[in-house]
Amino acid sequence: MRTSIFLYGLWCLAIVGLFMVANTYAWSPFADGRQGPRGSGGGVIFVGGPNHK
Amino acid sequence: MLTLPCPNCGAPVTFRSPALPNRVCDHCRSMLVRSDAGVGIAGQGAALPFDVSPIQIGTRGRFDGRAFEVIGRVRWSWDDGSWNEWLCLFEGGAHGWLGEAMGDFMMTFERPLAEVRSAELDRIARGAPALPGRKAEIDGEELAIADARQVSCIAAEGELPFTALPGWTIYSVDLKAASGRAASLQREGDEAWFYDGRYVTLAELSANNLRAIEGWTMPRYG
Amino acid sequence: MADAAVAQPAAKALSCPNCGGTVTLRAAGYSVTVACEYCASILDVSQPEVRLVTRYNEKASRLAIPLGTRGTLDGTEWEVVGWMARDDSGYPWEEFLLFNPYHGYRWLIEQRGGWSFGEQLTRTPEGSWGGLKVDGESYKPFFADGTARVTDVVGEFYWRVKRGDTVRTDDWVRPGAMLSREADGKEVNWSRSRWVPAATIAAAFGVAAGGKPWPPLPHQPSPALPFVKGGIVIAILAFLALLVGASITGGGRSLWNGSIAIAADGRDQQATVGPIELTRPYQRVRVSADVPALSNGWVDLDYTLVDRKNQASYTASKAAERYTGRDSDGDWSEGDQTAGADFAALPAGTYDLVIDYKGNNWVDPNKSSGNFWDPGAGEQTPDWRRDAVQPQVNISVRSRGGAGGGVFVLMLILIVLPLGAGFLIHARFEGARRGESDFASGGDDG
Repeated sequence: MRTSIFLYGLWCLAIVGLFMVANTYAWSPFADGRQGPRGSGGGVIFVGGPNHK
Repeated sequence: MLTLPCPNCGAPVTFRSPALPNRVCDHCRSMLVRSDAGVGIAGQGAALPFDVSPIQIGTRGRFDGRAFEVIGRVRWSWDDGSWNEWLCLFEGGAHGWLGEAMGDFMMTFERPLAEVRSAELDRIARGAPALPGRKAEIDGEELAIADARQVSCIAAEGELPFTALPGWTIYSVDLKAASGRAASLQREGDEAWFYDGRYVTLAELSANNLRAIEGWTMPRYG
Repeated sequence: MADAAVAQPAAKALSCPNCGGTVTLRAAGYSVTVACEYCASILDVSQPEVRLVTRYNEKASRLAIPLGTRGTLDGTEWEVVGWMARDDSGYPWEEFLLFNPYHGYRWLIEQRGGWSFGEQLTRTPEGSWGGLKVDGESYKPFFADGTARVTDVVGEFYWRVKRGDTVRTDDWVRPGAMLSREADGKEVNWSRSRWVPAATIAAAFGVAAGGKPWPPLPHQPSPALPFVKGGIVIAILAFLALLVGASITGGGRSLWNGSIAIAADGRDQQATVGPIELTRPYQRVRVSADVPALSNGWVDLDYTLVDRKNQASYTASKAAERYTGRDSDGDWSEGDQTAGADFAALPAGTYDLVIDYKGNNWVDPNKSSGNFWDPGAGEQTPDWRRDAVQPQVNISVRSRGGAGGGVFVLMLILIVLPLGAGFLIHARFEGARRGESDFASGGDDG
């Protein structure tokens, strides 16, 4: 039982650590934005995303 | 302290206290009685049957802060078994009994029945039968009669306050309280004696100089 | 050593008056009854001469732990001297009598593969039948009015025992321990047994570790409870750490607000707004678009944030669409006139927001707009092209620090998930354990 509590502690530590890293880099898997190709401001190629019906 | 030769076999026997006039000769098992006139023979004792009790003559310990040494024993039997009563001599000369039955120990001391003033005990002392389950109030505490039976002496050793010869039969009543208090009333004819005390463990008594038993590790207390 | 006297022998051999087998008396002086380990006959050993009480000529039961086996529990060595099989209306268990001349008797109780270590109490528990207390530990009632019958017996005992002996039993439990009251016509005995992991008994006495008893033993502690208890503390600490982490990353800041117009002809359009200054080392940015005039139409919006310094771009596509109408169920509407896009992990810099967009609306060709004399024609739908309205798209750009609420909730779920699983295991265990009780319909605590 001690081991499971220890492992859970590690798990929570990892989660909190992950959150801290995500927080520092303002990272979120729920964002819509994707990194696009580098280029001039115009003429951007769009990938994915919802469109009208 | 008085050391004399056994009137039966001549082996030296020691009487430690005038309050304990009886002594079983270690050599010939004669029951000796000490009186002003000298030492007489009260009867012939029996050999103790084999048992694996951890107590022996010479076992020492402390009870409620007072040191004691085991100096005698009476082995009693009843219909359904037998047990030991070890006589403990305390510093200052008082004595108590370390009862040993079914692997449990209890330390009891004689008290005058008049001081106890229990109607139930008085009734039993006067000859009424003791009924298991009946209650007796002693010092404001309720004790229940656990059992009542005829018991007989099988054998004895060491120093004793009375003559305990094989076949001596008395009526013995055990009482117990929820707190672990244990008491007993013993009756022979018109006479009755009351013993009051409680359950103890060898650890609690810091018992030492226990009997060595082959193949078992002797615990070290204290 | 002062007490290095000649050691007293520990056992005595006697011969069974029925089968002649050599029976070892391991608790001489205490034992009253011996059930011969060869022929199962009951012998009386309370007197110097052994007496046959009940003659049996059967092969005595083979014991999981043979007589004479020694094992050490909590630092004290015990020897198995007796064994009884008992049963309470189809609920069987076995009891091994343990002996150590210096420590007296104990019991090893086996039931459904689970083990307990028991001792006779020299005190009577305090309290009422509803709950008892011994050594400051309280016990709750579990079994009532049972009848325990001895079905088989081998070895030596300190009382007269025989097959068929019955006692009335009542049991109280607390996690890890059981309090039992056994009463026959003459006396009442109280004993306390503590649950011992099967592995401990297996290691001490060499029995094969049994399976896990199911349903659990009445006093078996829930294996998940320590995890749940410890886990709650850890989870609270982790939650607080998340809160602290979330709070130090700061709130939102408005970066740009403005409007762009949608052309009437529905062509592709592009607008560039900015500059948008991102000052935090990293941030999330939300671009919100609101088309108040949107009705029965759609607007596609493709956002691209371009870092002026290195032309790194971040893109997201969104659509705002909203349709309304009227059918047999009444008025309906679906969709949303707003379209927001979230960007995450944007490094600091000066950005332009390039919006590629295109809008259109749909007009029911069978219905004229602005039909004043027909209220049932539905809400007024402006035809962008015909009515020459120029719908505006209101754009606002805000920045936020940190990973955001979504990640916070996700992490919270990940933290709680193992704890919840542990709690479910605990609840299932306790339900099965309590289900065995004569008081099963009772309380829900524990």
